[in-house]
Amino acid sequence: MSERRLMLLHYVTGLGILVTGAVHLWVVFFTVPLDQTIWETTMLFDGHQFAIMSVYRNALLASTLWLLLVFTTFHAMNGIRVILMELIPNERVMRVAKWALIALGVFLVVYGTRTILIAYNIR
Amino acid sequence: MEGKVVFTVFSRESSAGARPRYVSYEVPYRSGMTVLDGLLYIKERIDHTLAIRYSCRMGICGSCGMKVNGLPRLACFTQVSELGRSIKVEPLPNHPLVRDLVTDFSTFFAKHKSVKPWLIRKDVEEQENPTGQYLQSDAELERYIQFSYCISCGLCYSACPVVTALPEFPGPQALAWLYRFYADSRDHGGRERLEILDRATGIWRCHFAGSCSQVCPKGVDPALAIQLLRRALIRG
Repeated sequence: MSERRLMLLHYVTGLGILVTGAVHLWVVFFTVPLDQTIWETTMLFDGHQFAIMSVYRNALLASTLWLLLVFTTFHAMNGIRVILMELIPNERVMRVAKWALIALGVFLVVYGTRTILIAYNIR
Repeated sequence: MEGKVVFTVFSRESSAGARPRYVSYEVPYRSGMTVLDGLLYIKERIDHTLAIRYSCRMGICGSCGMKVNGLPRLACFTQVSELGRSIKVEPLPNHPLVRDLVTDFSTFFAKHKSVKPWLIRKDVEEQENPTGQYLQSDAELERYIQFSYCISCGLCYSACPVVTALPEFPGPQALAWLYRFYADSRDHGGRERLEILDRATGIWRCHFAGSCSQVCPKGVDPALAIQLLRRALIRG
């Protein structure tokens, strides 16, 4: 992919993080009682039902969360690539770093998608 | 301002392994004195071995760029009265040192050449044997005129933090020149020029620190050229 497209995606995902992140935070903090939001992850372990889970069972909001995951992962991996390029200006190191970052990005998206799907399917 | 001014000048022999040092010289102040005047006084009367590069003495040739009191400036364009009684003079950063205050501009000019700083025309025959003038309107001239004031003194290049971190980065001077021709209505090399920039170590690495525009002695704004080129690249 050309540098122009990579950087365009970098800017687009940056804006995407702002939008989807704002939606996520607003829904989590302002549409359910506050005392039930901070324990959202505990619920997966102790089996209690909290109102926050309704957020993750909503297809639209779950999709927004997935988009946030994809945007953040791409933006972070590309950001690390840019930083590394200036820290270690070496073509061979950058080739290895590029594939390592792609692998890490794919892993993060797959693992995050799995987590979102688990939360979506809990009844 | 009366009396003497102390010039603390960076000095290093060209021989390998020579240690850099700072040497202080006292120079009598006179009204209207520039940093270059002070350095020439030192060279003529105190230390003949001091290496400096200069030519026109009037801010046109861009030869006497050096770091004066921490900022890249043209020595002939900088009044001693602006700086006070103590003046520290060092070679330009981001350019390899030749000796004392003289730096090597080979890489700088190679980058300058890499952006093809000339008009690229489709009608080569017409360009070689023109049958008339290439007329431009005021608005067309306005698009690039400020960038054509660049004298390639290398001050912006030495102030650029990205060049320090990433030596392959073309630098603000080359990018401003590229935009100067990209924006010229007589030029047909638009896409060809943009392709030069669109690489990992190209235009996208600019952090927009803006130091290039701050130090330019001719009022050119390379940071603006870089943003305009990025916009052109995004729009394809």
